[in-house]
Amino acid sequence: MKKSPLALLLSLGLLHAPVSAFAADNSALDLVQPISDYKIYVTDELDKLGTQTQAFTDAIKKGDLEAAKKLYAPTRVHYESIEPIAELFSDLDASIDSRVDDHEKGVTAEDFTGFHRLEYSLYSEKTTKGLEALADKLNNDVKDLQTRVAGLTFPPEKVVGGAAALMEEVAATKVSGEEDRYSHTDLYDFQGNVDGAKKIFELFKPQVQKKDAAFVTKVEKNFGTVDKILAKYKTKDGGYETYDKVKDADRKALIGPVNTLAEDLSTLRGKLGLN
Amino acid sequence: MSDSKNSNTPVDAQRRRVLMGMGAAGVALAGSALSCPAMAAGEAQVAEAPKSDKTQDRHDYHGMHQSGIVTPRPAAGMMVAFDVLAADHKDLERLFKLLDQRIKFLMTGGEVQEIDPKLPPVDSGILGPVVTPDNLTITVSVGASLFDERFGLEHAKPKHLIQMVGFPNDALEPALCHGDLTLQFCSNTPDTNIHALRDIVKNMPDLLLVRWKQEGTVPAQAPKKPSEPAESARNFLGFRDGSANPDSNDNKAMDAIVWVQPGSEEPAWAANGSYQAVRLIRNFVERWDRTPLQEQESIFGRKKITGAPFDGTTEHDVPDYHKDPEGKLTRLDSHIRLANPRTPESQANLILRRPFNYSNGVNKNGQLDMGLLFICYQANLEKGFITVQTRLNGEPLEEYLKPMGGGYFFTLPGVKNDQDFIGRSLLQASKTKNA
Repeated sequence: MKKSPLALLLSLGLLHAPVSAFAADNSALDLVQPISDYKIYVTDELDKLGTQTQAFTDAIKKGDLEAAKKLYAPTRVHYESIEPIAELFSDLDASIDSRVDDHEKGVTAEDFTGFHRLEYSLYSEKTTKGLEALADKLNNDVKDLQTRVAGLTFPPEKVVGGAAALMEEVAATKVSGEEDRYSHTDLYDFQGNVDGAKKIFELFKPQVQKKDAAFVTKVEKNFGTVDKILAKYKTKDGGYETYDKVKDADRKALIGPVNTLAEDLSTLRGKLGLN
Repeated sequence: MSDSKNSNTPVDAQRRRVLMGMGAAGVALAGSALSCPAMAAGEAQVAEAPKSDKTQDRHDYHGMHQSGIVTPRPAAGMMVAFDVLAADHKDLERLFKLLDQRIKFLMTGGEVQEIDPKLPPVDSGILGPVVTPDNLTITVSVGASLFDERFGLEHAKPKHLIQMVGFPNDALEPALCHGDLTLQFCSNTPDTNIHALRDIVKNMPDLLLVRWKQEGTVPAQAPKKPSEPAESARNFLGFRDGSANPDSNDNKAMDAIVWVQPGSEEPAWAANGSYQAVRLIRNFVERWDRTPLQEQESIFGRKKITGAPFDGTTEHDVPDYHKDPEGKLTRLDSHIRLANPRTPESQANLILRRPFNYSNGVNKNGQLDMGLLFICYQANLEKGFITVQTRLNGEPLEEYLKPMGGGYFFTLPGVKNDQDFIGRSLLQASKTKNA
């Protein structure tokens, strides 16, 4: 995967990025490597999402309810971890990941498709019947997403800003347990968002470390606290307990570090001199 | 925070615009500006901000007591209960010191620090580049749950502080009850309160988590002539609320009724604090509005228009129940008679009411969700609110009320000076454990 900086710039399409996207100082070039590394991470996550979505939708079409339910959360997690990039394609984000409350007509809304629509049938209606078209659509949408991301120039400010965006996601929809309201598999998404944010932070850490070491220490401590609490709810098969099992004290203990991470990571773009 | 020995009027209120600018009234003000030719300099534009000459009004942060208690109510109030996220005693000290710093700034006002525009701004910007105090008070109180094992405060708990227990007519919603800490925001406009809350939420994400919040208003009245008696504001049932309140400018009365005194049965650190009882009380206003006037009046025990008791002519006349032992004039189960029977014994149950009206939207059945954000202060919670509310259990007014939230809290003593900070006496008491 090692490439020369110039090759990277070319392959990532960064040479087309507007110059103003980078701060005037020379540290701008320092961002090339982490951004290319991030694209590799996203591509890798998308590959997993593609493969697992295929398996998930195959199970639905075969009528294997249990297998489909087992695959639901571990598949979604790869979408959650790369949301800052996935959300750049708002049409796909709506068709893959919208929730019932995004639709005035609720579950009967024609444009309510994707993971959460399938979740509703699998967990609430307890059936795979009549889901063939929805399964095919999800599979095609994910493939479409892969194609579009492959051709995308990653905007540096979206990548860096993604760390905070992911923590905002957690604060707004995960702590309350409203994301996966039928399956209660919120902890997978929770971890997906946190891992995605941590990945971005880790990639740009060397640059921030030079400017504000105390900031790095504080952020790492809060990531540590979140991981430690989430680890309590890991199951033997590598998955997570359902969200209703999370103790009130732990929910509360998660909120402080999550909100603080959202607050602190919102300064990451500025600290790196990005507009 | 204002010392009870000082005047309770805002620093800048000498011009006696107190009633004029009752802020809810941004709209009313703008309207009056238009209708008054002397004030209307040029044609106002649609997007123009309503004018207020009270934005610089402020209360001293420092004082023996916190402000926002014997301070006259401004037009906008907001009660916010928080869960404290601090990990330990040391972290709690960080919380109180930071809170102290933020409240001091917000109540004083000043320029917002400008920073690198690549970073998120330090202030929400709601009030512009210079924060105006706008008569703001922020009153800090703590709930019984703060005295659990987390902070080593078990021994410092005020004697009567308990978690609120539902009364028979209550339908308490857990998400609207209790909390480790409350902040009562009061100012001329809801926007000033919201600005202050957002400042605190932004600055303390690792220490405080909002648990519930309720905003409310006090309806403004036209200014009175000096010869005319002051009138209490009305609640959403259309009645004057707080007519029988003790005189909040009478320091002796406030010492007896509101403030915990040094050398009392309470822990030493709690002196000059007060108990805060908060109740979110929904009013069934559609039903109330379909109730005959005479029945409304007999349920309350007062005339609706004047607020006067049935044997008086103004709202401040004191009813003489001795002359009406069977309740022929004022029903024995009327609200005011149960709440304050005016006996020598019931003098021990006086409280200082400081409520706001709230309006929250619509219920599923299309009925308006509105009522009273009831707040009262007293030196003894048991003798005060709990006894009064217990007397009110079963009152006819209950048919029109449904309390669904709130809690009991202890309002901390005031911050004496720059060396002091909010909550200091509590933290020190718990360290020495001889509170």
